[in-house]
Amino acid sequence: MANRSLAGLRVVEMTEAWVGPVCASMMGDLGADVVKVESYPRHSMTRPVAPRAATMPGDGPVYERDALHHQGNRNKRNVALDVRTPGGAEVLRRLVSSADLFLEGYSAGKLEQLGFGWEQVRQVNPRLVMISLAGWGLTGPYIGRSALGSALDASSGYMAVRGHPDGPFEDVTPTVHSDATGSQTLFFACLTALEIRDRDDRGLFVDLSQWEGLVWQFPGLLGEWELNRRLPARTGNAEPTVVPHGLYPAAGEDEWVALVAEDDRQWAALASALGHPEWAEEGHAWATVPGRIRERAALDRALSGATRPLPGAALAGAVQAAGAVAARVVHSSDVPASPQLRARRWNRTITHRWTGPVQMGGFLWHIEPDPPAWERPTALVGEHNEEVLSELGFTPGEIEGLREAGALGDRYE
Amino acid sequence: MVEQPLAGVRVVELGGGIGGGAASKSFADFGADVVSVEPPGGGELRRQPPFAGDRPHPDRGAFHLAFGMGKRSLVLDLETPSAREVLARLLRTAELVLGEVAPAEVPRLLALVDPASGPATVWLTPHGLDGPYAGRREVDLSLMAWSTRMQRQGPPGREPLRRGPQAALVQAGHTAGAIGLAAWRARRREGLRQDVDVACVEAVLGNVDTAFVNWAFTGTERLSAPPARGQAPVTGTYRCRDGYVILGLTEPWGARLCRFFGTAPPGAAGHDWPETARLLERYLSSHDRREVFDALQAAGVMCAPVLDVSEILEDPQALARRSFATVRQPGVGPVRVAGAPFRLGGVGSDEDASWRARPSPGLGEHTDEILSDLGYGPEERQALARAGVAAGAGG
Repeated sequence: MANRSLAGLRVVEMTEAWVGPVCASMMGDLGADVVKVESYPRHSMTRPVAPRAATMPGDGPVYERDALHHQGNRNKRNVALDVRTPGGAEVLRRLVSSADLFLEGYSAGKLEQLGFGWEQVRQVNPRLVMISLAGWGLTGPYIGRSALGSALDASSGYMAVRGHPDGPFEDVTPTVHSDATGSQTLFFACLTALEIRDRDDRGLFVDLSQWEGLVWQFPGLLGEWELNRRLPARTGNAEPTVVPHGLYPAAGEDEWVALVAEDDRQWAALASALGHPEWAEEGHAWATVPGRIRERAALDRALSGATRPLPGAALAGAVQAAGAVAARVVHSSDVPASPQLRARRWNRTITHRWTGPVQMGGFLWHIEPDPPAWERPTALVGEHNEEVLSELGFTPGEIEGLREAGALGDRYE
Repeated sequence: MVEQPLAGVRVVELGGGIGGGAASKSFADFGADVVSVEPPGGGELRRQPPFAGDRPHPDRGAFHLAFGMGKRSLVLDLETPSAREVLARLLRTAELVLGEVAPAEVPRLLALVDPASGPATVWLTPHGLDGPYAGRREVDLSLMAWSTRMQRQGPPGREPLRRGPQAALVQAGHTAGAIGLAAWRARRREGLRQDVDVACVEAVLGNVDTAFVNWAFTGTERLSAPPARGQAPVTGTYRCRDGYVILGLTEPWGARLCRFFGTAPPGAAGHDWPETARLLERYLSSHDRREVFDALQAAGVMCAPVLDVSEILEDPQALARRSFATVRQPGVGPVRVAGAPFRLGGVGSDEDASWRARPSPGLGEHTDEILSDLGYGPEERQALARAGVAAGAGG
């Protein structure tokens, strides 16, 4: 049986890449009934109408073939609405009436204009939990400002410590770490709010600032300032108190291996795996923790010299077998061949109408006794319009009328 | 005062690690009774620098002070049968276990869990509980290497860069905490007891900010070489007068930036990006980060300042929302920590007070009281201490 941890919950997700979508997929993985409401006729930022870098080549609508969209949209049904039309608004009103959770990713104030602000939806459904996930939240001077994940990464204090100490900061590429972790924060927020809903038997609004959802995750950086009034430095991949700790070159172009020795025992293992057991023999300058800290630069040079001719995966395996930390910097093409991921049947081939069979990453967890199932590949835009609207009590004639009025859609121009 | 949503829920955290600490943190902050079962001397969370006053001590580290908040500390040497007896008794009172332990330890810990009435369990390990790499030790950097998140992150010719320190491990721990809450809910509501295996590698690789799905769709490891700055709109970091800002210049923002400078947007007649880029550079060089942030956001352009941690504490938005809390930590003094990760009921509401910052426990601070609650009498407690099985305050 598929996992049913959240069976019985209905989630209406009206969000775009990726905090809301990934969270809603996790809920779908756990048996919740997730309905994604996509905007129509405006397409979301992960549904391009002209091919982009992450679009799979092939036939069919471009907006059904973009990797950025498929990354966070499994295990949902899909309804595409123009909620600015009276008919579209009525569909959303009935959806929200039937929901436990309403996730919305619009900019501040937008949903209120459309008639779906908290004060409005709570009238429709007094037991609803509504969560807004604006980048900086719904109060304060930054209300309404737009934020990609990269902006939250930048303004939360952790981007400033990225990069090589001697390199230009322009080399520090934008990341979306806040998207990756934000989905987990949102998931925790949803279930915490539902506890209050169930306890008090009334709905609840949650203001999730993605910035606040991120800043607790770097206590080492904040602590450096707060405890010692020092600003953490840019250290590349180095740790001030662990040597070695870094990436070292391996044979081939752009091949790197992470090597770390946390203590003397791991250092002895690493040295011997590299064919230099003498580096860890008592009396050698590098045999001790303080010695390795003092001679970091020389040690890093020697390690690089030793690793450069060696193939990365074999080197990492040998160092791990000896008892130290090592990992090749993995390329995407390595993932399907990973003995570990294969043994755990992690990544899988999913067949979608317009992409055909395609490799996708697996679930974030293995659960016993009932593992999650990939019951639905990424839904097509509006794929479940009829199904969901019928459940909401719309007749076939009404559904046709909504389509003709432009309130409901299943393709973008 | 409003009752916290997880009040009365006992969570047992095992291992004293950074990932497990991150996993159970929000449980404690929202009111759960989190008992952190720590090895003698403390786990990795307490050894992680920096330390208050640069004095390494299990009760003074920044990670412990942030992730340990509101927990109780029970020191047990789980290598011994006696400690496992204590743990078994503790687990009978728990609804959820969050464990960051070696995979080889998991079967004998699971053997202590009653399969019918016991707590839900979540096990956080580098590669998962089975498979050929299950025994491998990994740290944050090597997890990041596994995740495909480093493959494109570096200047040409140099090694790729990690995210912030401990980012991958904390993300994986956060993932374990989230699924732990779902498993707890399913147990409580549906009577469904589940065991969850979270592999750090899968938790990070299976989320976004990775390259694998892009590769699967396109067959290319690098989606595109970044165009030269000045020739085309490039989302990235830009130097201004007092530091850097990040600008999002994909559409619609590129066109809005053009309008900000009065130049023709992409697609319009007379569009000349290099001209806009020159105007941008001149503008940035004469303005500070916050001026740029305010002005460009007012113009609808995705923009944010690159801030350091001293600046985020004084950020106007953070001050207005009280995004940081102060904990009075015995032995350390007042410490500012990140506040609620989400605001139940909205900022300043009654429910918003369901997130609370409490001091972090000293190592072994609660060993005696917990053993006593579990029914161990004075002689038994002293015997356990004397045998080195359970350690009280001071670890």
